[in-house]
Parts: sequence; C-alpha cells; structure tokens
Amino acid sequence: MASFVLKRLALMIPTLLGVSIIVFLMLKIVPGDPVNSIVPPDASEAERAAVRAQLGLDKPMIAQYGIWLGRVVQGNLGDSVTRRLPVTEMLLPALKNTVILTAAAAVTAFIIALVVGVYSAYYPNSRIAALFNGLSLASIGLPNFWAALILIGIFSVTLGWLPSSGMNTAGSSGTGDLIKHLVLPTAATALSSVGIMTRMVRSTVSGILKQDFIFALQAKGVRRWTILRHVLRNGMPTILNVTGLQFGALLASSVLVETVFSWPGIGQVIYQAIGQRDFPVVQAGVLVIAIAFVLLNLIVDAVHAAMDPRVRHA
Amino acid sequence: MAINAPTAGGTAALATAGREPSRAAQIWKSFSRRKVALAALVVLLLIVLACLLAPWVAPYGPNDGAVTDRLKEVGSAGHVLGTDEQGRDILSRILYGGRLSLLSGVLPVLLASVIGGGLGVAAGYFGGWTNTIIMRALDIVFSFPAILLAIGISAALGPGISNIIISATVVFIPPIARIAESAAKEVRKEEFIEAAKTSGAGAGLIVRSHVLRNIFGKIFVFSTSQIGVCLMVASGLSFLGLGVSPPTPEWGFMLNNLKQLIFVNPVVTIVPGIFIFLTSLSLNLVSDALSDALELKR
Repeated sequence: MASFVLKRLALMIPTLLGVSIIVFLMLKIVPGDPVNSIVPPDASEAERAAVRAQLGLDKPMIAQYGIWLGRVVQGNLGDSVTRRLPVTEMLLPALKNTVILTAAAAVTAFIIALVVGVYSAYYPNSRIAALFNGLSLASIGLPNFWAALILIGIFSVTLGWLPSSGMNTAGSSGTGDLIKHLVLPTAATALSSVGIMTRMVRSTVSGILKQDFIFALQAKGVRRWTILRHVLRNGMPTILNVTGLQFGALLASSVLVETVFSWPGIGQVIYQAIGQRDFPVVQAGVLVIAIAFVLLNLIVDAVHAAMDPRVRHA
Repeated sequence: MAINAPTAGGTAALATAGREPSRAAQIWKSFSRRKVALAALVVLLLIVLACLLAPWVAPYGPNDGAVTDRLKEVGSAGHVLGTDEQGRDILSRILYGGRLSLLSGVLPVLLASVIGGGLGVAAGYFGGWTNTIIMRALDIVFSFPAILLAIGISAALGPGISNIIISATVVFIPPIARIAESAAKEVRKEEFIEAAKTSGAGAGLIVRSHVLRNIFGKIFVFSTSQIGVCLMVASGLSFLGLGVSPPTPEWGFMLNNLKQLIFVNPVVTIVPGIFIFLTSLSLNLVSDALSDALELKR
C-alpha cells in the first residue's frame, strides 16, 4: 500500500509541473507590457530596461518560468495588485471554505447517485427509474449558477426557509447556523455532477447484476439485502473512482456557485479579482484549485487501492 | 497543413454524403423515431431562428427602456417576460442576446474541431514521436478542470466575447483531439490504407481522402455533443463578468445583472437561464439521438 502511494506521488510530479506551466503561461498572455503598469508614462528607455531587469523580464522564458516556479514552491504566489497583500493570505482562509462546500457537495452527490443509481439498476423498467433517468439527463444541461438562483428564489425569497448568502449570520458562529447556510450552495454545486454520477452508478450496478456470481447467490437462496452487499462491494471501487473524477467538476462549479451565494471561498475571491482586474489573484486562485484537484485525485486513488487489491497490485 | 486538412476533408465528406441520399434518409428515419429528440430539434430550431430574426421578432429594441416600465412582472401586458431595473423588455434582450450566446456556444466547438481534429489525426495517423508529443501536451491541458482553465485564460486576456471564444476553444481542443486520435489509429490499421500506400499515395492524399472521410462522422457527433457543454461554459464565464460589457445583452451576463433583483422580482431573474437550459438540453438530446442514428448505420 505504501509503495502504491509513493508511486502515485511520483506520477503526480509531471502533472503538477504541467499545471504550473499552464498557469505560468496565463500570465504571459496578459495583453500589454507589464513594465507599463509600474513605470510612469514618460520614463526613459534606460529606466524601463532597469525595471525590466529587476522583474527578470529580460531573461529567456524558461529562466522566467524557473524563477516563478521557485517562488511558488516556497509558497510565494505574488501580491494582490489592488489590496497590496500577499495572495496566499487571501487564498488560504478561502480555500478552507471552498473545501467545506466541495466536500459537502461531493458527499451529497455521492449518496443521491448511489441510492438512485442502484434503484434504477434494480428496477430498470419502473416508472420511477424512467423519471430519474429524465431528471439526470436534464441535470446535465443545467447551468449550476442558474440552479443557484432558482434555489434562492424558492427557498430564500418565496419560502424564507434558508439564508441566501454568506457562511454565518452576523454575530453567530454555531455549527447549526453554518449548516443552514451550507444547504443551498451544496445543492447547487452537487446538481452539476449528480446526473453524470447517477448514470455511472446505474451502468456499473446493472453490469454487476448480469454476472454469474449473482445468479449463483440467487440460486443458493441468499437474501436480497445480502446480495446487495455483494453488488456494492464489487461496484464501489468503480463508483468511488467516478466520484473522484467529478471532484474537478465540483471544485470548478463551486467557483460559480460561490459568487451567487457570496460564499467566502476561492471562487468569490476570483470573482472579485476579475472585477478589479487583479490578475495575480485570479492566477493564484486557479493554481490553488488545480493543485487541490490533483491532490484529491491522489486521495481517491489511494482509497480505491485500499479497497481493491486488483488496483494495488497492478 | 495539418490544421487545414480537416476543413478540406470535411467538405469532401459532406459532398459524398450528398451524393448518397439513401444514407441521409436512413439516418433521418432512425433519428425521427425518437419523439423526444424530434421535439428537442424543434425547440432548438425555434430558439435559433427567433434569435437570428431578433430585429423582426423582438417586440422592443434590446436597449429601449422607460423608467415607467421598471421591474414589470412576468406576464405583464406588453412585456411577456417582464422588464429589468432599467425598464428594458426581457424577452427582447433575450432574443438579441441569444445571438452572442449561441455564437459563443457553437464557434469554440467548431474551431476546436478543426484544430483538435487536425492534431488528433496527425497524432493517430503518424504515431510514434508525433503522437507522444501531441498527446502528452494535450494531457497537460486535460489535467485542469475545464471551466477553471477557461476562467484563467479568459481573465488573463481580459473581458470580451472574443476572448471567451478563444479560451473555450482551448478547453475543447483536447477532448476532440482524443476522439480523432483514437479513430485515426483504428483507420490506419485498415487494409485499404495499406492498399493506398502500396499504390504510391502520399501521406497527405491518404489522410485527406481516406482517413478523414472515415472518421468525420465520429468527430462530428462528438463535437455536436460538446456544443451544449460549451454554451454552459461560455455563459458561465460571461456570468462572472468576463464577457460583454453593459448594455450589450447576452444570456450569462443578463443573469449576473438580474441576480441583484432576486428579492424584488425572483421570476424575472430566472428567465434568461431557461433559455440556456433549454438550448443545452435540446442540444444534448439531439446529439444523443444523432449518435445512435449514425451508429445504426455502421
């Protein structure tokens, strides 16, 4: 098991390097000369060259990337242009909130997909299965930021049951209050993945139900719930893997959902930075989420391997 | 060359499809058997037509607003879908705005099909180092959650629909290239390719007249399925403020603008999203049925 995780960690390095190259290149496609934003318009060519050298912009691209990567590895993601703060100070508290939202959405989507998917696989011709099938198809075409607005319209504005923005009511910091604020953003974020996950669970489970060992168990007269346990044990690695792949979609969709609910996560930080043309913050936010995605996939792979010896020894 | 090839091959494939009406008829027969897909196609055509004909169909101009008409509810006389905080007719803005929204859903997929298709065919047909370099480079782009990558590129280039189209194109190149690559790899093993090579045909001719013709359908069906996704990505970017600037109407940005009215006029706020949802759902249903219809033929 330990050697498996080490192997996966080693495989992660090229992926992370690739991610860093793309994020670095994003900075390079910003239109205009970055020197212009620092020197006064009437600066002489010598002054401009001095600033250029100071920023390292006179070096070849590869060297610039090396310098940038060296800083990033040490946790220096640059400074915010508008707030004159190190970007990490803005992003780290926000990352925690984004992880809370994404985790809640992942668990919710996982449970719904499991229940609905298993039911639809067991009773493929039932009316309820057809209804679920239609709903999951529809959810794939549903923009989550729009779903978020609908949820606010129904549960906050019309019914007044749940708060529509923020993470806590001013002055209170209880867990109950947090959960109340978490419900709608979680639902909106989970919606974007639950359809795809349900379809995966259904096709996995219906594949298992056709296998010989299920017939053998049925022929032996094993009880239904016991058979279900066998089905789940066999299907769980695949299902967990699909959930892992959806983490990327969930993380990315939380960016959009956070802006609707003013959830104080990375998405909200990125959204504000876009409005203020504060590109270093956007760039760092994108990098942090991409790294979180890679790490989450590693964790899912490790869990997958712990559950399924076929993967561990492959 | 590799990038131009698919266009040439694509037209060739379309031209041959035109010469065989029986095949098109077969596909249509299988497609039209699905009532849901047929209904989706009608909805899609209606939305597209209404948006294209906006100047003739829309009851008002996109930016005409009177202070006296502010914040009308859905179903008000003269304003079927209500008005916004400046008294502008929502239906008219949706019809005019749909042109940019639909364009930002279709154009990136089209561009990505040409570029990604070209890269994928080159990688799949030539194999070896060409394949390794192209596919590994695309894998890097793949390791990013799609919307996030699009947000990053779009924010770097600055707000604007053309920049949304560029960033969405980048995001859709890798998946299309993968489909093209695996399809081209399969075709390469066919005997008729061997025959063409022995008869002295050059790589360019083989790719154009044999490879592209055979895999065009696969790329086409997959690309169609991506238009709905692309519409959601593009309107999401626009929702974040990376697209049009006011007062230009566009579906994603209209939602962004209307969201501040949700406590005043929740139903009106939600309306532009219905069009994003209906369009992308119809696209998914149509492309689903289309892929089944083409499958039956094989």
